[in-house]
Amino acid sequence: MSPSKSRFAVGLRQWMAVLPYIALGLIGTAVFVLYPMIKNVLISFQNFSIMPNATNAWVGFDNYAKVFEDPNGKFWIALRNTFLNVVATVPVNWFLAILFAVLINAKFVKYKIVFRTIYYLPIVTSWIIIALLFKYLFADGDGGFVNYILHQKLGLLPKAISWRSNYWSAMVMIWLFHIWKTVGWGVVIYLAALQGVPKDLYEAADIDGANAGQRFWRITIPLLKPISVFVLINLVNGAFGFFPQVYFITKGGPMDQTQVIPSLIYTQAFEHLKFGPAAAMGFMMGIMVFLLTYSQMAKIGKQRMF
Amino acid sequence: MGISMKAVGGVLAAALAVSLTACGSGNGGDSASSPGASAPSASGTAAPAPKDRVKLEYWHTYSDQEEKVLTEKIKPAFEAAYPNIELQLTRMPYEGLKQQVIAGVAGDAAPDLMRMDIVWVPEFASQGALAKLSDFEGFDEVKANVFDGPLATNLFNGEYYGVPVNTNTKVAIYNKKTLAEAGLAEAPKTMDELVKAAETLKGKGKFGLGVSGVNAWGLAPWFWSLGGQITNADYTKADGYLNSPESVKALETIVSWNQKGLIIPTMLGGEPGTWDGLKSGEYLMTDDGPWFYSILMNEKDAKFDPMAETMRGLMPAGAGGSRSVIGGEDLVVFANSKHPKEAWTFAQWMMTEEPQKMMAEVGLIPSNKAAAEAMKSMDIPFVGEFVQQLETALPRTPIPQWGEMEGIFNLSFEKAIRGEKQPKEALDEAVKQIDALLK
Repeated sequence: MSPSKSRFAVGLRQWMAVLPYIALGLIGTAVFVLYPMIKNVLISFQNFSIMPNATNAWVGFDNYAKVFEDPNGKFWIALRNTFLNVVATVPVNWFLAILFAVLINAKFVKYKIVFRTIYYLPIVTSWIIIALLFKYLFADGDGGFVNYILHQKLGLLPKAISWRSNYWSAMVMIWLFHIWKTVGWGVVIYLAALQGVPKDLYEAADIDGANAGQRFWRITIPLLKPISVFVLINLVNGAFGFFPQVYFITKGGPMDQTQVIPSLIYTQAFEHLKFGPAAAMGFMMGIMVFLLTYSQMAKIGKQRMF
Repeated sequence: MGISMKAVGGVLAAALAVSLTACGSGNGGDSASSPGASAPSASGTAAPAPKDRVKLEYWHTYSDQEEKVLTEKIKPAFEAAYPNIELQLTRMPYEGLKQQVIAGVAGDAAPDLMRMDIVWVPEFASQGALAKLSDFEGFDEVKANVFDGPLATNLFNGEYYGVPVNTNTKVAIYNKKTLAEAGLAEAPKTMDELVKAAETLKGKGKFGLGVSGVNAWGLAPWFWSLGGQITNADYTKADGYLNSPESVKALETIVSWNQKGLIIPTMLGGEPGTWDGLKSGEYLMTDDGPWFYSILMNEKDAKFDPMAETMRGLMPAGAGGSRSVIGGEDLVVFANSKHPKEAWTFAQWMMTEEPQKMMAEVGLIPSNKAAAEAMKSMDIPFVGEFVQQLETALPRTPIPQWGEMEGIFNLSFEKAIRGEKQPKEALDEAVKQIDALLK
């Protein structure tokens, strides 16, 4: 009895010692993360009214049923787009990140800090500003920069595209927007990681007569594998969390075809006051992301790469 | 491993405890504050001394020149008439406004009064966010003095939750030069004439039919003028109306216009926008509200003179006559207002002839009958066609479900216009979904 009690006492003392330092963080997490999360789950089972003192009736799984009964299948469209976003952006984003990092890290490149800053700049720039920039670049007709270059100058397109008015062109625009905005994060992570790759491996490869491509694929990539896993998990999570990408570019249009789950939740809740079904979608998405991340983590945990 | 697991458990437990107390204290604070807050307002009404004036928070979306009238004429006149009340005016951005109102209502931070878009009133009333104005003293008097059409936009469950502070509609606005290019000297009276002009202009790389967007505000005037209908007269049924042969034909006509390339690219989200296209003469016409003039005429150093370079006409008549859509704003009092009586006093006053005439000077069409009559002789250059068009203009379905219903309406029209569905099929599908909402 007594050893366990003393362990408890020690634990308590340790907690009391650190509490002042983490209290603010805990309170913040409780108020801004845990409370909304719990409240969201509750709302998803209620017929929710926006009035502060309303009694919200419990309706069981009605809200969930409503999500799936939608005759336009908006939830399925959003789900499909979410997976498409992952498939389309993660590999490109990952490859560009490592490529740019290796290039910047190359011996002959001067002013490395400048490049690092330039690649990181889109990340610290506001979404809305970059969205406006992209809307401007991808404007309709030959007046739009991208149309002007691809159609008027290079003739790669048979005619000027109305980028945001068609499903696939809108999706491509959303993907490019996302990649351009976020690739700098991977670049910075990889730049840091590259500093840990032993130089003698490259020297040995040079002696064996390896060219730049072989050094990249046979040394850099394998040695960075643990970092790559970390980067990929984060990129996948990022691609799941599309909201500004869609909301600022297409608002889900044309015809709700480019919606993703977060933008659909926003529209349902804050345009149509359907808080119940919106909360239900949020809860389902939360479970999905949790399962995905958990399974990834479990798999990686077994590989012992770190 | 064991230690870290315990740490996680501890963090979670502590966080849960904090979150529970946080939400508990939140509720406590709420219930404690409401009786405390109602006490001063009761004493305020009992002794209306200018010292403790009641402050009314008023949200509006008036434009620059309209706001000038509001702050320089309306506010002083009202406060002179009611010295115990002070107006606190907040101009809200239209972008994201609905979300701000929702957040305000949910957080008990909504204003006392708001001038809100007519299509939102039934929706917010159904949420219990608005005060029932038909219960207040003097409502019948206000009701008797305003036009029925705009007033009806405040109805929910047979009661009124707002008063129509101003009304408007859209008329056809033409670029004079382009009209001459199409071989016309004056605005087309019928759809057939307009379509013919559009076909002439197509050869010159210009667009003749200015449908401004695939939504009820953009489409309804065309759809109605071509003979289409949305619901029955008491807004309870769409079957047999939205998918009637006349409605199908109206949509088919719009679809065929689009296939022939007669409609401006703006409709499907393309560029230039309606105003830019109209100014440059690339578009022959579009339908828009009186603000087209009040805003453009007040633009400093603008090269474009809207009065000299454009011409107005009623919506060209088709099988359904010349129809446009009623817009405008209603004045509402929020259910959580601490001073509902004073708020109603202002709403009542705002609906009388004098303040209505003040706002009419900047082109806002009064919903007060006497003020609207007086406006005709006020020499506002562009307003005549708008007032005339109001006689045949129709409201968008004034029911709480409209927000969602419009989503269905828009989607079915867009599917047909983009050629993904046959018009009949698209409308049948929409009817099924809308009737499910109306039940």
